[in-house]
Amino acid sequence: MLKNYFKIAIAVLKRRKFFTFISLFGISFTLTILIVATAFVDNVTSANYPELNRDRSLYINFLQQRNSKYGYTQNGPASYYYMDQYVNKLKTPESIGISSLFVPVNTYVNNKKLVVNIKYTNEAYWHVMQYQYIEGKPYTQQQIDNAERVAVISDDLKKDYFGDIPNVVGKYIEADNVQYRITGVVKSVPVTMAISYADLYAPYTVSKTDYRTKGLSGNYSAILLARSKAELPKIKEEYAGIVAKIKPEQKDFDQFISYADSYVTSFTRQMAGDPTNSSGLNILITAASAFILFFMLLPTLNLININISRIMERSSEIGVRKAFGASSKTLVWQFIVENIILTFFGAVIGIVLSFIILQVINNSELITNMHLSINLTVLLYSLIACLFFGLLSGVYPAWRMSRLEVVTALKAQ
Amino acid sequence: MIKHLFKLIWNKKKQNFLLITEMFVSFIVMFAVFTLIVYYYNNYKQPMGFDYDNVWVANYTPPPNIQSNDSAQLFHDVLEKMVKSMPEVVDMSFMSNNVPFSMSTSNTEISYGDHRNVRTNIYTAEDSYKDVLNFKILEGRWFTNADIVKGRDIPIVINKKLKEELFGNETATGKIIGENMIDKSQQSARYRVIGVADNLKDKGSYQAIENGMYRNIDTGAMHWVGNIVLKVKPNVDAAFEGKLFKTLSNAIGTSIEIEHFDKKLVTKNRIMLVPMIILLIVAGFLIINVSLGLFGVLWYNINKRKSEIGLRRAVGASGSSVSNQLVGEALVLATISLILGLFFAVQFPLLNVFDLASNIYLWAIAFSVLFIYVLVIICALYPGKQAAAIYPAVALHEE
Repeated sequence: MLKNYFKIAIAVLKRRKFFTFISLFGISFTLTILIVATAFVDNVTSANYPELNRDRSLYINFLQQRNSKYGYTQNGPASYYYMDQYVNKLKTPESIGISSLFVPVNTYVNNKKLVVNIKYTNEAYWHVMQYQYIEGKPYTQQQIDNAERVAVISDDLKKDYFGDIPNVVGKYIEADNVQYRITGVVKSVPVTMAISYADLYAPYTVSKTDYRTKGLSGNYSAILLARSKAELPKIKEEYAGIVAKIKPEQKDFDQFISYADSYVTSFTRQMAGDPTNSSGLNILITAASAFILFFMLLPTLNLININISRIMERSSEIGVRKAFGASSKTLVWQFIVENIILTFFGAVIGIVLSFIILQVINNSELITNMHLSINLTVLLYSLIACLFFGLLSGVYPAWRMSRLEVVTALKAQ
Repeated sequence: MIKHLFKLIWNKKKQNFLLITEMFVSFIVMFAVFTLIVYYYNNYKQPMGFDYDNVWVANYTPPPNIQSNDSAQLFHDVLEKMVKSMPEVVDMSFMSNNVPFSMSTSNTEISYGDHRNVRTNIYTAEDSYKDVLNFKILEGRWFTNADIVKGRDIPIVINKKLKEELFGNETATGKIIGENMIDKSQQSARYRVIGVADNLKDKGSYQAIENGMYRNIDTGAMHWVGNIVLKVKPNVDAAFEGKLFKTLSNAIGTSIEIEHFDKKLVTKNRIMLVPMIILLIVAGFLIINVSLGLFGVLWYNINKRKSEIGLRRAVGASGSSVSNQLVGEALVLATISLILGLFFAVQFPLLNVFDLASNIYLWAIAFSVLFIYVLVIICALYPGKQAAAIYPAVALHEE
């Protein structure tokens, strides 16, 4: 039976080539745009190099002190002092990686200016993150304690600074007027990885802004690595217990707010405006779905329009089949199957197209070191979108068709 | 004629309903796109208002060990003398974080008369800032070192846009404006306007001009300052930049970055334009999609109405009148959906959504109406032409 429907569908598609083209064009391009967009979102939000442990990590990158009466707030990352005093006291996490936001500084090589983004880290940072070492290894706790000027640099910085030479471990690199001795070279990270991106990593003890300065706000964020995913709620609870005891530093403020959040939430919470009440994740998801729905509305309407024309054109066929006793249900089923076959072809073209576009984006280095790919999650979502599309644009015309009287259907010829 | 077309469409309302919806949604999409384009173009047309060639900015973290006001003042005086003594440097000024083309902003709300809580950018800089960026003073004067506040009123210079919003055609110089301070100790602070500066488009080529006010860096704020804006002579090379960097780095002791304003502008513009380009690609795709669909459906409808058209031709209608009728029908359909769309679009200027000037919306409405009509005419022309070519004898014979 299904095989029969398939044959009919192919015959129909071949008959009105222009309509088939319009339908395929609409389906495949909509899918292409969706796949490319989801590939990008997936690249930014899911556990990619070097943040492979993201699903069992919590992030603290935001403190808020507020005046609950006027709604006046002061937001920002925490100081190293805060991390050491409060976050390092946590018992549950396996390890706690602490790193500063990257700070751009200059260095001048052969009369050429290089912008080097420096990040200061503690030792545990190298355990939490899974950097890939091209050469050497990270600095040790001993070197951090001694405030040695050592650094791990990225592959890209090595190329820009030294050119094509095989081994740079042990060599010196000058950045921000300081000589660092290189202990390791890691594979470069795209700038979209806000927490782990930098060109040069150095111990926090050599940071030029004194890490001992007391005060809550500063430039640091923490990544709490749990032993397993199941322990995440326990860590959140423990951190909430610590935060509850912290007083705001200035007398203008009466509330102190900070959360240990999963990666995406740690950013959406900052955008939500009032972090006490909402994590912002729901707002983001609602906005994104509303946008996708609206975006898909036009191609879907278009498909429905085309499908109606297509089906009405076949009213004589419908009339004959009805006259020979086919029920409305079988007919609706047939048209939906036909439509799904069409969407399936569109999907295949869409996937091929998006594969090409992603390759072009990757090769053009739109964002350095970012490699977009169609992974299984992305593919699954696009197939769901596709099916939804096919059903939506097939159901209404099929329903209209099934209500056609035999006589009218036959007479329409 | 038009009444007749309406009747034809009404008779097939079920079939036309989807077409109308599609044109309506296309109109809404185009309205959004044109609003953005008109908005960006309007901003782009405004003059920059200042020179950014050969102007650099050095960003640094204020040294944490300098806490007292006196030591901060001393530290900055030494730094200033050092930079100004370099022959390549024309002039320099310390400044708050919101330097031109940077991501950071600093806002406050001020009040004057009926204008309560007007949001404005507040820039703190030195008296030399005007010469570094070379912008015009339209009224009154720019502040000098002698203005550094002793009394109760803080002297400020406001920009043209803020002046127009607060004072309209009156002169602004000498007026006192108040600010809603959260900090109780500052609640009595008031500002005395001593001059009006030209609008500076310092957020990028495509950004709208915002309200702005400039005040002198006072001694108390000196240890927060982390930016030096400096103008250098034309044709200085990277070697000088390296030298400047070393000097500053040795003197300040914390991390430093030197940026050029012309390059910062390019980056800033790209951040504005990339989403715009993506939006245009997506909208372009949607419109191609819709026009193909419209074309297909109109074409199909005409094929179905062969006998009707044949009959009309037989009783003497000319080819062009048949074609005109079909295009006319499509235009009536478009008009219905546009009226529906206009109902929603007009709400934007009426309710002042997103705070854009209403003429931006009106232009966008005009453009999108024109666009939809042109699109519909293009899509209907070919099927119309085909219909005009139908021979009455052949069509009637088929029947």
